[in-house]
Amino acid sequence: MAEEKKFAAYICKGCGLGERLDADKLAGIAQKEGKMQVVRQHDFLCNADGVAMIKNDVANEGVTHIMIAACSRRAKTEAFYFPNNAVARANLREGVIWIRPDTEEARETTQDMAEDYVRMGCAEVKAMTAPGGNVNTGSNRTLLVVGGGLTGMTAALEASKTGYPVVLVEKSGALGGWAARLWKRIPVHEPFKAPADTGVADMVAQIAADPNIKVYLNSTIAKTDGAPGRFVVQIATESGAVSTEDIGSIIQATGFELYDANKLPHLGYGKSPNVVDQAGLEALAKAANGGPILRPSDGKPVQSVAFVQCAGQRDASGEHLPYCSGYCCNTSIKQAMYFKDSNPAIDTTVIYTDLRTPGNGEDFYRSAQEKGVIFTKGKVATVAPNGGSCMVNFHDLILDDQNAQIEADLVVLATGQVPNSGVNIDMSAEEKADEAAAEAAAAEATASGAEPVQFSKKVSVLNLTYRQGPDIPQFKYGFTDSHFICFPYETRRTGIYTAGPVRRPMDMVQAREDATGAALKAIQALENAQLGRAAHPRSGDLSFPKVRLEGCTQCKRCTVECPFGAIDEDEKRFPLFNESRCRRCGTCMGACPVRVISFENYSVDTVGSQIKAVDIPDEFSEKPRILILACENDAYPALDMAAMKRNEYSAFVRVVPVRCLGSVNTIWITDALNAGYDGVMLMGCKHGEDYQCHFVKGSELGRYRLSKVGDTLKNMNLETDRVKDLEVAITDIDNLPRIINEYAQQIVDMGMSPFKGF
Amino acid sequence: MSANQEMAAKYKNSFLKEVEDQVEMGEWVKMCMQCGVCSGSCPTNFHPGWEHPPQEIFMMIRAGKREEVLTSPSMWMCTSCYNCIVRCPRKLPITHIMHGLANYAHRLGVAPKNQPTRAFSTLFWSNAIATGRVNELKLSMGLYFKDAEGKINIGEGIKKGLAMKDVALGLLKARRLNPFEIFGGHKCKDQKGIAAMLKKARELEDKRKALPQSGASR
Amino acid sequence: MTDVVATNETILVVGGGISGMTAALEAAETGKQVVLLEKNPALGGRTSQLYRYFPKMCHPTCGLEINLRRLKANPRVRVLTQAEVTGITGSAGDYTATVKLAPRYVNENCTACGACADAVKTEVDNPFNYNLGKMKAAYIPSAMAYPQRYVLHPSIIGTADAEAAKAACKYGAIDLDQKEETIEIKAGAVVWATGWQPYDAAKIQPYGYGRYKNVITSVEFERLADPHGPTGGRILRPSDGKEAKNIAFIQCAGSRDENHLRHCSRICCMASLKQTHYVREQHPEDGKSTIYYIDIRAIDRFEDFYQKVQADPSVTFVKSKVARISEDENGNPVCWGVNTEGYKRYSNPHDLVVLAVGMEPSVKGVAIPANVVFDSSGFIEADPANGGVFGAGCASNALDVNRAVQSATAAALRAIQVVNKVARAEV
Repeated sequence: MAEEKKFAAYICKGCGLGERLDADKLAGIAQKEGKMQVVRQHDFLCNADGVAMIKNDVANEGVTHIMIAACSRRAKTEAFYFPNNAVARANLREGVIWIRPDTEEARETTQDMAEDYVRMGCAEVKAMTAPGGNVNTGSNRTLLVVGGGLTGMTAALEASKTGYPVVLVEKSGALGGWAARLWKRIPVHEPFKAPADTGVADMVAQIAADPNIKVYLNSTIAKTDGAPGRFVVQIATESGAVSTEDIGSIIQATGFELYDANKLPHLGYGKSPNVVDQAGLEALAKAANGGPILRPSDGKPVQSVAFVQCAGQRDASGEHLPYCSGYCCNTSIKQAMYFKDSNPAIDTTVIYTDLRTPGNGEDFYRSAQEKGVIFTKGKVATVAPNGGSCMVNFHDLILDDQNAQIEADLVVLATGQVPNSGVNIDMSAEEKADEAAAEAAAAEATASGAEPVQFSKKVSVLNLTYRQGPDIPQFKYGFTDSHFICFPYETRRTGIYTAGPVRRPMDMVQAREDATGAALKAIQALENAQLGRAAHPRSGDLSFPKVRLEGCTQCKRCTVECPFGAIDEDEKRFPLFNESRCRRCGTCMGACPVRVISFENYSVDTVGSQIKAVDIPDEFSEKPRILILACENDAYPALDMAAMKRNEYSAFVRVVPVRCLGSVNTIWITDALNAGYDGVMLMGCKHGEDYQCHFVKGSELGRYRLSKVGDTLKNMNLETDRVKDLEVAITDIDNLPRIINEYAQQIVDMGMSPFKGF
Repeated sequence: MSANQEMAAKYKNSFLKEVEDQVEMGEWVKMCMQCGVCSGSCPTNFHPGWEHPPQEIFMMIRAGKREEVLTSPSMWMCTSCYNCIVRCPRKLPITHIMHGLANYAHRLGVAPKNQPTRAFSTLFWSNAIATGRVNELKLSMGLYFKDAEGKINIGEGIKKGLAMKDVALGLLKARRLNPFEIFGGHKCKDQKGIAAMLKKARELEDKRKALPQSGASR
Repeated sequence: MTDVVATNETILVVGGGISGMTAALEAAETGKQVVLLEKNPALGGRTSQLYRYFPKMCHPTCGLEINLRRLKANPRVRVLTQAEVTGITGSAGDYTATVKLAPRYVNENCTACGACADAVKTEVDNPFNYNLGKMKAAYIPSAMAYPQRYVLHPSIIGTADAEAAKAACKYGAIDLDQKEETIEIKAGAVVWATGWQPYDAAKIQPYGYGRYKNVITSVEFERLADPHGPTGGRILRPSDGKEAKNIAFIQCAGSRDENHLRHCSRICCMASLKQTHYVREQHPEDGKSTIYYIDIRAIDRFEDFYQKVQADPSVTFVKSKVARISEDENGNPVCWGVNTEGYKRYSNPHDLVVLAVGMEPSVKGVAIPANVVFDSSGFIEADPANGGVFGAGCASNALDVNRAVQSATAAALRAIQVVNKVARAEV
């Protein structure tokens, strides 16, 4: 791109802008105050003619920076698509004329608003550069898959099939994971009636025959260094040898353990060999090899079996797993069929509270009923050994019998999945202390020669060298799931995706689907990393944070706050930006107290200069000015859509979209207040448990930072209500105008800021 | 058997198997998923005679509550409106199962003795097979002159008869009721043939469903 | 519109709902060329008609905004709306799809200024609101519509209203001469993501949908709760506009029923649990929800959500499939049935009954894609016989949004595998 900058402003007069606003005056402002070298007006800027005019200026007039004063930046994006230029949009339609009444008395304030937006647009574009992207961030195309179970094998095979080399690391001596331990699997094809072959042997063979997949068995990840496109991974093998692999992106498919049935003594586990968990039953079925399944206590064929659903799951007491593992109903159905298929005379009863067989699982459920499996809605209280058999005591919920009992040769507990997610890097101090205490107690008990107490300390899976910790942040209950409904693969570690039951409890069908999707995301991450493009949600963004290290005070706020762990510290304790890990949210920029972090197209300056560009009328004008910093994903569209409904709001506000509340630097607020703004509204997404921030922690961090603004206000002797923090959803199309108007009134009542004109 | 074992035996599938073998359409019982749409759809479900609605009976069968099921008056309450069959999401032939269960309980001789539907059905059956045709006059007389306990009661019969006299007169006028039917009445043509048919049917039924030696255990 | 550049390295995505958009974007962001077809005049699909998502109670339009921004920033996706595939020929790596494009009567000059809507008098049913309200016959499909461009309803073409719309548009955006077109698009692989439709509740005769105004479906209820909806977000019952405070939610309305849909639609339990929040949100003091269910299928982490709703005293759970609905003299629907947990009969009047209608795959009964294997419910089964056609989202199974997106991402990879093979062969 040419170093020579040339700025141009284009003022549209379509959609009523020409009638409602004095376009000549706007053009004059762009030229004189905005210092735009080219200023043009057009009756219909977004049509072919208008766009051609802009393109011509770029091609023949050397225009590099474009300021379009027309509709919202969300509208007419195809027409105003200039990927090689810096572009700013002054929102005169949705932001001004659609939210103001078309009356004579409103004319002046409406014009004021439009003029300010033109000033702001000019100021913004002057502070911007079209991002060039950094293509020197690594271009390795190999995928690392951690975990050789069904999920990991699927991911490896699918990636290889797409044309990418794979390194597959499995900690045990064989591929297959839990799936290899199954006798049969839940069917995946019509008619969904009978257990099917697991297909594991076939997959293992395919991997063995695939020269594109390099398998490490008995191996773990000793160290993961780098970033998407340039990970360097050390793999420790059992022999002690360490291999190093260059990796583009990573899939963590470390699976699950079954919930420890020893924690369920009331259900008879450990008290009788005839009480097993689902894995125990698979082992019995494998040993039976299609023949009668034998009772562990005496080796006699099982004549009756009871399945206890939700054993240690869906537990509201806090003692066991609170969640449902989702696959266990179908698994029990399948296991009941093992018995019925070999001998229909065997009594098989499934005791459940809610039978959960979604989709075609309903056919599988019906098929089991046809085979004579009995389903009883009940809550199991205890399982007691009773001679060779077991007595299952339960509350029959249909017959409302508190003392119902079933005697069974074998009892199968449907315990749930516990993820193998490594170290919880977000553990609170309290949780850490609890863990340490448990470890110490276990060590002491073992040392004192009493019964050895089991304590398994969590071991890191990835051993990331990241400043923020060695593993992927966990979501809930140890699962590494994404919080997002619309974007299930997004983790907080760019280029590292999780798949399978480590992410969310799931069955084999889902795990395979999940692995395939994760393979795509991993491939996409390494492809984009080598082009310098951002990953979701600002996918394709070529900007990246630039830091002026000479100004850095090593306060570490950026390295601590980055929601994606993108920033490490170098040996001199300066922040080290790994840009292919960066998601371009700007949280680091917002956090930086000395404002040395910026993006080419979004910086303290691009926003700060907009704030300063606004014309602040004097104290006696009765025209207060309120700055709104609005999250561009939710609050800003909500304002746009309010405008589409022609919901009116105060002409005193000036809205600046921000990437995320997390990117808001408090200097903007201080500057605004110093410049004489009478109020500041911050509009960000919901935070907390059900946070809706697309940068996960952005709005939360932003809010925390802004909670300190009170001190600034105090120092300035200003009312605390001069800054208002709002949680805004994209649907607040009616609320938002009302809230703005109420706040504008509040400011009027409060009186004008004393800082005007300084 | 200890009390405990007896209790536990209940959820064994033996009674379910018995029902599957012995009861017409009994093999459908296991297909119920306890949604309750059958009892909700039943036009007579408000009647206290429905001690256990169909889905509960199915659950009781699965729970091995043999005695309670077979002696229950519930399945005798079914009026064969077929609402439940139409609405059952699992397509269970509930009406038929109800009748099958009632029939089975009757065969075993454990059905509630004075259950009105049972009494009527018994009367109807013996009336019908006697001549191969239902003699309506005898059938209604037979019903009128019995009390709630099933004993003959002349006074009550006259009272009931008088209460219905307008209907009877109407039927007479319309030539739908012939008082001389009381003496023998119409017969169907091939009496022997009917008897042979019924005998054969009985034989077939007995062959298909050998009565179990004793109740629950087989 | 006809100059769609597509080759056998192009991925054709059919359906512009969340699954189709996801498949298209994920493939495009991996560097592939994509043509995305949508039958309706705007992208977004069925999720864009929801007010909130379970379990976070966040807004679907929020995710849609991100997806639209991804789309606007990505030149590799070509979007065609009002487009329906009428046939596909060829095999994996070399398909030709015949696509019918319905006229919009509005060209790309449209600025969405709304002057045409002001000029037009005719009102038509608003499908975005499941016809619960009316809209002008010159309309923008929804506030989030992309392309952000008006549409003329075909019923006014040839009338004075259409001429009025044309006269009102200063930008020459209205083109009344547009005709239906048929074009052919080359593609190496096809992702079929046509989603689902709510099961026709009128077929569940005893529930009186269509006979009783205050019996509505779960998807319609979403529109009532949405500020963009016909009531501006207030839950008003259709018969008399009265605020509905005592609301019944009937599960398995069509699903798990051999008379209707054999399969479990997976999402309905969660959707109803979510909708109880709407009731409480509007009437924290006296809102009442009753959920009639067979099994509550709050699978995996969703269990948390179920437990929270269970703890809410304003929500009652009744284990029962409602047998029938009648209407009392006040227009209140009355649910009749038996609570099977202990055999308790009920006949409960409510202000409004919401049927949690099942999910029927839109691809069911559609002859294309030609050789594709379907299961007994009409969902596309993963099968080698499908060649380079891949089912995604609810075209492939009854899925919630999260799983639909996973499925679409996986489908995108499978499609990429096909076109990569083509690319390798051509080198």
